[in-house]
Amino acid sequence: MTVESLSLLQSSGLLPEGLNVSFKLLPAILVLSMLGLFLVIGFVFRVADAEDMWVAGRSIGNLENGAAIGANWMSAASYLGMAALIALSGVYGLAFVVGWTTAFFIVLIFMAAQMRRFGKYTAPDFVGDRFNSDAARAIAAITTFLIGFVYAIGQARGMALVGLYVFGDIGLLGLTGYQSMVVFMMTITVGYLTLSGMLGATKNQAVQYTILIAAFLIGLYVVGFSQGYSTVLPQVEYGQLIGELGSEFSEPFANESYYLWIATCFSLIVGTAGLPHVLVRFYTVESERTARWSTVWGLFFICLLYWSAPAFAAFGSDLYAQEVGPVYGANGMDSAAADVIVVLATQLAGLPQWFVGFVAAGGIAAAIATVAGLFIAGSSAISHDIYTNIINPDATQRQQVLVGRLSIILLGVITTLAALDPAAPIAALVSYAFSLAGSVLFPMFFLGLWWENTNREGAITGMLTGLVLWSIPMINEVVPNYLGGVEGPLVAGLAQWMPAIGSALIATPIVFAVTIGVSLLTDEPDLQTKMLVRQCHSPEPMHETTAAEAVASSERTDSGTPADD
Amino acid sequence: MSSDSDAATDGGHATGTSATTTADAATTDYLDAEVNLLSPSTPFMRDHLRIIWTGFAIWFVAVFGPVTLTAIAPGPMTTQMPLIGFPLHYFLMAIGAPTTGLLLSYWYVRKRDALDEKYGIEHPTGGEAE
Repeated sequence: MTVESLSLLQSSGLLPEGLNVSFKLLPAILVLSMLGLFLVIGFVFRVADAEDMWVAGRSIGNLENGAAIGANWMSAASYLGMAALIALSGVYGLAFVVGWTTAFFIVLIFMAAQMRRFGKYTAPDFVGDRFNSDAARAIAAITTFLIGFVYAIGQARGMALVGLYVFGDIGLLGLTGYQSMVVFMMTITVGYLTLSGMLGATKNQAVQYTILIAAFLIGLYVVGFSQGYSTVLPQVEYGQLIGELGSEFSEPFANESYYLWIATCFSLIVGTAGLPHVLVRFYTVESERTARWSTVWGLFFICLLYWSAPAFAAFGSDLYAQEVGPVYGANGMDSAAADVIVVLATQLAGLPQWFVGFVAAGGIAAAIATVAGLFIAGSSAISHDIYTNIINPDATQRQQVLVGRLSIILLGVITTLAALDPAAPIAALVSYAFSLAGSVLFPMFFLGLWWENTNREGAITGMLTGLVLWSIPMINEVVPNYLGGVEGPLVAGLAQWMPAIGSALIATPIVFAVTIGVSLLTDEPDLQTKMLVRQCHSPEPMHETTAAEAVASSERTDSGTPADD
Repeated sequence: MSSDSDAATDGGHATGTSATTTADAATTDYLDAEVNLLSPSTPFMRDHLRIIWTGFAIWFVAVFGPVTLTAIAPGPMTTQMPLIGFPLHYFLMAIGAPTTGLLLSYWYVRKRDALDEKYGIEHPTGGEAE
């Protein structure tokens, strides 16, 4: 059955079979120095004011922003989770490869340049300003917070599993080895976050991208070469190996249905186009032309990893079958081992500890960097959009910072708790966040930018509908894992047609219909709002630091010349 | 791509360009032109959307085509490819779709740059802007 086989329930004592679990000095040093390097680079390029912090002064070029898009994008789900799904679920896993790359074309043609012209830093800002509503802003802020939380559970699982290779079973307070590692890694992450929050972001991401892709590709090339699988182009050479792997690896719909493939792929695409941390990358560039070109570069950098992940999965599965045991079947590879297949493959290939540690460090760094970004977005949604904008408009700087810090700690605690006994493998956990972004935020971005008559009432009912529709399959399938004595899914038919992993296939069209319907039944937005949207589509170039709002409002007073300052 | 006179006749809004044969951004007041994905109101947006929908159609086939064909005709789609050894469906999904997405993106950005040129638009770069 579809989702059940994905969430083949693990006990909280997750232990990747075949992985060498012990403390290893060199890999530990590598992990810590990689994080240290990020901090040092951040410190060298540190920035003072908020404008710089958020958009890096809008001075970032094509290549650099492309690398930042890649680094932002590559979490433990890309680095670890995707190869895991391809190894275990075969062709179904390819829905992730297809969805997570081709989605950028949709972002490019429908959103990148328009978002750059709109010129807001965060998703709640966009929604709040486009629909002139604090309520809409609050719903977007809560959604951003929820996305950060759900997305981070998968990251916590990934870094804890890989952390077992590097740091071993540290046995905290009677917790299992895996659980101790969740607590340990999340503590490191929150610590890293407090240090990095004030440091330069984009410069850092270009370096992060370089390190992550190097760790992944070098890992792949060395495994392929040393085991005789491949020479110069493992991304294509693994084709010869496919026939020798189990039929589950390549036979279509052997593991999951056609419908689930489509639902998942669709969900991942609209989720990508609705994820706040993807779109924020377009505000950092000097012009909308750069926004477009850097998307092409970003997609190229992402493809480098995505072409390679299936090859890593193929090599890893073959090595596992040779040295540990059968990959498929009743005694097959468990989802914990699959989630570390990238690291496991380098270990099983008999490569030196420091080298395996290097590949492991790449995975941990990908997870920590992503969680840091998600938590910053989530905490600013709470402190800025909800606390300062709605609860306490007279909040002092100190109060805002305090609320921000408390929300980061809150996020850290609930993520840790939810990751102690995770409901599903990394990639599935992360795709719940994509379903959410695709159901709630994507329709707002898309309609907000492409149909000027979308109004406040439409946006609010649309987003609420999206939140409810996303929650139903989550309660049906995922929540029962955290409750004693209840087996999920509660309703099997619902899980089949509206699976949590791909619920946006049902939810997104309904949210579109509701938003359009309510907008048509209520008053049109005022002219000022319409001008804002028109300005996002005008081909006339805008000054580097201008946002659509400024141009639209100056146009109203003196007709003709756009604001040039 | 059709000619400009073509484009000027099917617009429902007065944009100022209908009288001229050259499509020039300077003669259009974009803040007076309605934004609606399904009914573009300026020649620029019409040209732009033609590119967008063309790309979107190809994209749709590249993303959902291989898996759908595999569901309909599993036999031919799972044939082993010569030389590289991939089953066809696996190759089209694992390598074909991401590569198509990348090439399409490159194509779109080139087209969009050409559109800028057609409408006489220049973008500020690096240090030039004050």
